[in-house]
Amino acid sequence: MLDLHRLTKSFGKGDSAVTALHEVSFSIAEGEFFTLLGPSGCGKTTLLRLIAGFEPPSGGALVLDGRDIAHVPPNQRPVNTVFQNYALFPHMTVAENVGFALGAQGRPRAEIAATVERMLALVKLSHLAGRKSAALSGGQQQRVALARALAARPRILLLDEPLSALDMKLRKEMQVELKRLQQETGLTFIFVTHDQEEALTMSDRIAVMAGGRIQQIASPRDLYDQPANRFVAGFIGETNFLPAHCTAGRLTLPQAAAPLPVPHADGPVTVMIRPEHVALGQARPDALVLTAQVDRLVYFGTDTHVHLHLSDGSPLVARVQNALRGGQPCAAGQTIPVSLPGEALRLLPCDEAA
Amino acid sequence: MADRAFDTRRLPGATVLALACFVILYIPMVILVANSFNTGKVIGQWEGVSLHWYARALQNDAFLAAARTSLILASLAALIATITATMAALATTRSRGFRGEGTIHIVLNQPIMVPEIVLAIALLIIIAQIKQATGYTGLGYLVIAHSAFCIPFAYMPIRARLEGMDLTLETAAADLYAGRLYTFRKVTLPLLAPGILAGFMLAFVISLDDVVISDFLKSPGQDTLPTYLLGELRRNLTSEIYAISSLLLLISVLIVAGSWLLTRKKT
Repeated sequence: MLDLHRLTKSFGKGDSAVTALHEVSFSIAEGEFFTLLGPSGCGKTTLLRLIAGFEPPSGGALVLDGRDIAHVPPNQRPVNTVFQNYALFPHMTVAENVGFALGAQGRPRAEIAATVERMLALVKLSHLAGRKSAALSGGQQQRVALARALAARPRILLLDEPLSALDMKLRKEMQVELKRLQQETGLTFIFVTHDQEEALTMSDRIAVMAGGRIQQIASPRDLYDQPANRFVAGFIGETNFLPAHCTAGRLTLPQAAAPLPVPHADGPVTVMIRPEHVALGQARPDALVLTAQVDRLVYFGTDTHVHLHLSDGSPLVARVQNALRGGQPCAAGQTIPVSLPGEALRLLPCDEAA
Repeated sequence: MADRAFDTRRLPGATVLALACFVILYIPMVILVANSFNTGKVIGQWEGVSLHWYARALQNDAFLAAARTSLILASLAALIATITATMAALATTRSRGFRGEGTIHIVLNQPIMVPEIVLAIALLIIIAQIKQATGYTGLGYLVIAHSAFCIPFAYMPIRARLEGMDLTLETAAADLYAGRLYTFRKVTLPLLAPGILAGFMLAFVISLDDVVISDFLKSPGQDTLPTYLLGELRRNLTSEIYAISSLLLLISVLIVAGSWLLTRKKT
């Protein structure tokens, strides 16, 4: 439905030009909840502004339903935005805000009134229709902004970090609410966030961005289990990185007990393993077993994080589920064997910076 | 106590000086207003309270004509100045810097800095020529001159309001299918309205109050309230002048207070 072809954006001219987006290409399907995830300055908001039409791209094409809209002004694109600060019109009531898009399109009054009513019911704010938008709480303003952006039934709804101004509890509620709205309306959502948890819990697919480039596009599960590079692995969830070497199809860690067979070209690699896959003790026969010293234990309620280091100094964290009985899995200062199951190891090219 | 912020109230004599300033400023006005209610003819001889002089003023055709001229002049000048100032403020805040923006700023605010008498003389030289050439002696000259020196006063509150406005609101309107004109009519203008009204009121008062330029440029037989008062003072000093001055004072205070309330609210 929406296709980006080598979309590029630079600010400034000549030598002082800064490229915010480097030839970004991907496609979004109808009805998808698509998230742009990355640290601040990665280009995700710039990309959103290009799709909304607030900025023209410096190069490339933006094709919506077969039509290149890269240079169509924002008021002629069937795309609406929920702004980070909501940008509600302070001099209008809630109902006037929600009906704004339809009024601008010159729709008949009766139709506007009916749509406003339906939209306010959708976000559960019918009782506040006559209130001035400045007199609402943050969560209510958020819902008005959503209803306003949905009222004209856009082809795509863009959401620019809409939950970042809310407190923790409200944010969790709104995550559920947003997902429900998206499923009820069947609309395509493009959601921008720097919060990986938000991205993982709501999205159908996530595009991880850094330095103005797409690092990886995948479902939340694939992103977590099969990160494409060290940046993605480090940005999503907690991860251990260990330096290793491939020789003749076998993987060797500096002090590995047994080299594992791995289909990979010879040379140095980075081995990645999630803390929850690191097992204490000599658990499994197919695992890589290393000796590590325990630095400290951190109790997290459901599990305990065991911070260790290997003999070459590399740090390693294991996450151990807490049993009802049994006390601590080990003690600080102990030297113990740890098992890294072969199926949990991911090999990443090691030349990349974290 | 030493770490407290600097407080002028603690300077020796500050309170006394401030009080003295207030007394010198306001006592004459209080005396003027009080005298306007004096039934007697001579200042300082109190003969009882009445609206005698107000009644006389309202029957004075010359005063009424001058008042009418002043109100028409102030309304027209304030209107023209406000429209110009609104456009200027939009241009200097909404566009991403253009060539000559600094110059435009200086030109706009020039009337505040140039001595009024200089402006009056300069205008007189040109307008006297035009009057001679065209034979037109109407209010037009004063309207144009007043509009010009009222622009900076109208411009200031409008620009302040524009600078405080959230630009994402206009982006949001564009995102919601509004064209430029619709956005201006439904979003920018309503949000700007208090600033525009404040600017209009300020310009109105400035025009209403002007003596120097009006006195230089007016045609024979033409009088605004201030120039009428000036003429009356030279000819016959009666308490009617106090009544008229008090009326003028009342109008100015009301308008300035209104303008202040408008700019102060909700920002």
